[in-house]
Amino acid sequence: MAIRQIRTIGDEILRKECKPVKLMTPRTQDLIEDMFETMYEENGVGLAAPQVGVLKQIVVIDVEDGEQYVLINPKIVETEGSVTGYEGCLSVPGKTGKVTRPTRVKVRAYDENMELYELEGEDLLARAICHECAHLHGELYVDLVEGELEDADKVQEDEEEE
Amino acid sequence: MTIDRTDSRELTLDILTEILEKGAYSHVVLRQALSKYQYLPKQDRAFITRVTEGTLEHLIGIDWILDRYSKTKVKKMKPLIRTILRMSVYQILYMDRVPDAAACNEAVKLAARRRFSGLKGFVNGILRTIAREKELLLAAFSLDGEHMGMDGTGETVHVPLSVRCSIPDWLFSMWTEGAGREQVLEMAKAFLQEHPTMVRCNTSLAPMEKIGESLAEQGVHWEFSAYSEKVLLLTDHDYLEGLDAFQKGWLQAEDLSCVLAMEGAPLKAGDYVIDVCAAPGGKSLHMAEELKGTGMVEARDLTWQKIRLIEENIRRTGFSNIRTKVMDARILDEGAVEKADILLADLPCSGLGVIGKKPDIKLHMTPDQMEGLVRLQREILSTVWQYVKPGGTLVYSTCTIHRAENQDNVEWFLENYPFERTDLTGRFGPLVQDRSLKEGWMQFLPGRYPCDGFFVAVLKRVEASA
Repeated sequence: MAIRQIRTIGDEILRKECKPVKLMTPRTQDLIEDMFETMYEENGVGLAAPQVGVLKQIVVIDVEDGEQYVLINPKIVETEGSVTGYEGCLSVPGKTGKVTRPTRVKVRAYDENMELYELEGEDLLARAICHECAHLHGELYVDLVEGELEDADKVQEDEEEE
Repeated sequence: MTIDRTDSRELTLDILTEILEKGAYSHVVLRQALSKYQYLPKQDRAFITRVTEGTLEHLIGIDWILDRYSKTKVKKMKPLIRTILRMSVYQILYMDRVPDAAACNEAVKLAARRRFSGLKGFVNGILRTIAREKELLLAAFSLDGEHMGMDGTGETVHVPLSVRCSIPDWLFSMWTEGAGREQVLEMAKAFLQEHPTMVRCNTSLAPMEKIGESLAEQGVHWEFSAYSEKVLLLTDHDYLEGLDAFQKGWLQAEDLSCVLAMEGAPLKAGDYVIDVCAAPGGKSLHMAEELKGTGMVEARDLTWQKIRLIEENIRRTGFSNIRTKVMDARILDEGAVEKADILLADLPCSGLGVIGKKPDIKLHMTPDQMEGLVRLQREILSTVWQYVKPGGTLVYSTCTIHRAENQDNVEWFLENYPFERTDLTGRFGPLVQDRSLKEGWMQFLPGRYPCDGFFVAVLKRVEASA
């Protein structure tokens, strides 16, 4: 197990299409374990393989709901509702921004044993699924941010008045 | 993906710093912070809201206490330390579920995390002293009678009445001169109480029974206001915007005082109404509802941002007899001259009637600013009266308790423009009785009436004469 280096925005690999995983190998198993370890080390709630420089369709998610999700070759098959909220990304350090995402999504994917399953997520989990799956197609949340990208360590100010 | 998991005390510190040190509006900063950190658990969100609002509400008393027990006066403290101490004193005195030791320890940790480790002892010392004197201090702050006792300093604790009321000295003097000590005490008690959410029902969209059922289904407890059959008091709800009845446009957030005030306008079917400072549109919508699909309400305000708030409310109700217009009320709109049956001038004001809900107003407002507001109100009135048809009505209102902005403005207006008083006796229902009704105005005072402080005057434009 090892902590891998996170690729940050500007690195071309983040903009490339990832390849589907055909079969599980020890190498891929190691990658998944490393992805979890790296995500926890960096205080993320989700991580996609291209963020550690591997162009494979693999996503790991832990939104502290007691589960560790592995999504291999995921496809979002249903979405419902919409909610605008702040999110950030380990590949865009120190920043945060408002993105509108579905409130509910259903995703079809393979797990680490290459068995097909369906996962339904609401709220934060739905947001994480959408955010991570987008990475697999070279998309970053900054493409979707409404308004400005903001510094993460500061409560936003506004000149709005009564 | 990452999300912000800021500690709720640290977040409260940042919010209060924005408000107290940088002069931001409390409800704006709080709303933005809660929307930004929407993944915080519900109890954290409630904690942040409570500590922010409570600290502002009791700030005057908290600073008095800090000045008593600290060698460095509050004004001379470093802003960050000052804010940490203020929010911690609030927790110690007014939040039973936060153990005093926890409030002290968290304050010390917060100071250390923000690179003030050197002041850990200072913070700890003051807070522990205050925690020790808690019972005595709470008694000394009671608004029911005088309570005095001796604290560890060996001196009697006697808290001036204005501090106990949590009203700035200058404002306390102004109000006691005008209304008397007893009345101000009543008001202060009302301001410091919990306020139920008040909503006005659009009964043209759904009958009252249906609105009540919908609320009950979502677990909201409600009751009728004794003063208006259109107003409900809501408790046990998370947030208004999430309720079905709200989304369907059946409910409009509006204080009882505003609803009653609009009853003063002699509205009749087919009337043309202009509301010159309408945002967020509660009063305009109220009149559109009363017109039952007839006539037209033109809701104006200064900026697009404000108009957007009104548009959102209109969309929710689906009313078709209301439209919006971006318009500076100080500039004469030739096209509107003598067009309005009813003109509503609910003007920018010092807001001293709503300090129970927006406590930062009492901390930021100054007599200088209030003079400026009187000038602005007169500037607007001297323009917009021209939109009133001869025989039509001008309704002037503010959400403040300040003679110069209210009664004096009315007197000035009547002296300078062709308007006369109307007798308002009985217009606000049987429970509102006041000698001033005959004079054409009403000042709602919290404590006397279960609502915000609000002023309304109803003036009739005299018919053209030869």
